[in-house]
Amino acid sequence: MLSCEGADFTQVVKRYDIDSQVIATPEEMAKKMLPKDEVFRKVAEEVLYMRFKTVGPVVMEALKQRNPLDVINEGLVAGMEVVAKLYAEHVYYLPEIMMAAKTMEIGIALAEKQVPGGRETKGTVIMHAAEGDPHDIGKNIAAVMVRSSGYTVIDMGRDVPIVDFIAKVEEVKPLFASGTALMTTTMSAFPEEAKILKEKGINMPLMGCGGAVNREYANSYDLGIYSEKAPQTPLIAEKIRQGYDWKRVRDEWDSIVGGQ
Amino acid sequence: MAYDSADDMVFGRSKSPVSYGFGLKIGAGKVIPEINYAPRPGTEKDPEKLRKEYVDYISKDILDRAVTAGFPDVQLETEWVSQMNQVKLSAPVVAGQEEICEKYHEEYGINCGVRQTIPDQREADHGLRPGMDKNKAYPEKLFECAEIACENGADNFSIESVGGKEFADYAVTNGDIVAFLFGVGYLGSIDMTWIWEQFVDICKKNKTTPGGDTDCSGANVAMFMAGGMMDNDVQRTFSAVTRCIAAARTLCAWEVGALGPDKDCGYEGIIVKSIAGKPTAQEGKNCQCAHCDLQGNLIAQCCDLWSNESVEYHPEFGGSSVQCWLGSLGYECALMNTSLQMKQEKTLRDLYMYADRSRGPEAYVLAYDNAYKVGQAIAAEGEHLYNRSLAAGLTGAKIILNGYEKKELGLTNKQLDTLKDIIKKFEALPAEEDKFVEYAVKEFKDVPNFTMKNYGL
Repeated sequence: MLSCEGADFTQVVKRYDIDSQVIATPEEMAKKMLPKDEVFRKVAEEVLYMRFKTVGPVVMEALKQRNPLDVINEGLVAGMEVVAKLYAEHVYYLPEIMMAAKTMEIGIALAEKQVPGGRETKGTVIMHAAEGDPHDIGKNIAAVMVRSSGYTVIDMGRDVPIVDFIAKVEEVKPLFASGTALMTTTMSAFPEEAKILKEKGINMPLMGCGGAVNREYANSYDLGIYSEKAPQTPLIAEKIRQGYDWKRVRDEWDSIVGGQ
Repeated sequence: MAYDSADDMVFGRSKSPVSYGFGLKIGAGKVIPEINYAPRPGTEKDPEKLRKEYVDYISKDILDRAVTAGFPDVQLETEWVSQMNQVKLSAPVVAGQEEICEKYHEEYGINCGVRQTIPDQREADHGLRPGMDKNKAYPEKLFECAEIACENGADNFSIESVGGKEFADYAVTNGDIVAFLFGVGYLGSIDMTWIWEQFVDICKKNKTTPGGDTDCSGANVAMFMAGGMMDNDVQRTFSAVTRCIAAARTLCAWEVGALGPDKDCGYEGIIVKSIAGKPTAQEGKNCQCAHCDLQGNLIAQCCDLWSNESVEYHPEFGGSSVQCWLGSLGYECALMNTSLQMKQEKTLRDLYMYADRSRGPEAYVLAYDNAYKVGQAIAAEGEHLYNRSLAAGLTGAKIILNGYEKKELGLTNKQLDTLKDIIKKFEALPAEEDKFVEYAVKEFKDVPNFTMKNYGL
């Protein structure tokens, strides 16, 4: 092997990841963001520290002292919001998001049972991977993030036939639907789906996502909107909930997704 | 180990070269460009349109450009789009590509041939073995595709199989390295062995060269999610270890008779080449049409085929996309082959390697001297699938930690914490395979779509 003595590899490679890393611990960063109320803080900490084995007893204890909707919103969801902030700051990463979401969902399932008439959802979202496409890891991650943001997600899985997708949309009438494709030959399902939906008079945004899809493609057919990364999907969902149609989402896409 | 030392490994030469197609000799003294492409969306809807796209446009463009630029060899790779599991779509493409290669070989003397890479559409929730998927019958279609490819003239047959994918998805998104070890290292190895025993028979029957396989759906997913310097959804120390485990799995195809080269997106190729001595296809700086990675130069260090990964067929200023990317590959190969002719190959190999060695943990562990050590760890465990996967992962993790401690490699705090956690978890595992399997089956019983039946267990 050649000797590399005297070579300065910092002239070859710059490790931006090391130079820009956040040194603060999750505990230090979360301190100011956690709820002040002690009961809610304990619940939020279960989510923040991904304690999915103990979140159950902690939530049950909180339910003795606070009403279930508050335990959900001021405790579990508040904890998840801190997780999202740590993720945005590159202190937490994907595995933490997934485990925190799992913890939150365990807690919500328990608290929801005590909410008369059930908990109100922000809206229903249908997600699927395109017909012929077996790749669904991105969809699964996005589903967790959308669900964590308070929406009901109907996950149709992968390789979903166009007819099945259309039937589900007609049945559920979701806020919007998303489709993922990793192959250029399967993403063509999205304009076909959009065309059928339009013919049926359904004017719902149809989000195109996945490795093969780009913004230009997703915007090339009516109803189509784009999400590049999973964390962008809840941001776009919020705007649709506020009444944005697919044209307005397209127009304001850059500002909606911001730095995400 | 096929090689006495890491330093014996170079690009363009393997211990067991393979010959196929029209004059192609892989690993026999030169590096050959391998160009891969995707048809334009919509062409898959009609058999004649698809044949024209692959044969009359893509293949012809490639062969014309190879002749124009004076490249002596070129391998084409057709990664089948999912619709090609229908014989009416795939057979004319395979036969047509064979015919056009023969024509150019006869007319110009160019050495050429086609690798046909079939899709593995099996889904763990519906069953990986024949008879299980009552709805789509994907396991049956897998072997039908192999027959179609080989019967219609594939020169080299390959696949990116999905055994263990249900665990890889779970492991990567949840940061669970033991789940990856069980799913990819153990179950995935069982699956790869099982499918390749049958593929090799099909290839032999049709005089097709059985090439290889990779863990695209696991280690590559981890690497792409780990991304670049500022992504890190998955820690790059995690993805580097998954790559080492994937090597123990990729080896299985070769152990039951595949001859190589393996698949270009299998960045673990350097590790399996060190063990088996068969030629390896790799992709790096000349596959930027498909993706960015952090070892674009380094990964060329010991390749035998040099690939662009894949590019959609479309026009560029310099010709069609396949022509432009073939040019990029071909000139890189020309540089490597010049160094071989001038006996400077080890110098160039080391320059490639040093250019990326400190770029991240994935590059560091794949540097040929370190990859060789991972290969030794696998080889020492023989055919014990669990033990060799564990040895690969643990050895890789310790190599990275050692590099960090020697200040050869920088790591972020998070990357370091993840690495130390991986080592701790590996060191706590039982030494015996049966005990590990017993533990893993209980521990991971809730992993979505997991059933031992998929692996014949």
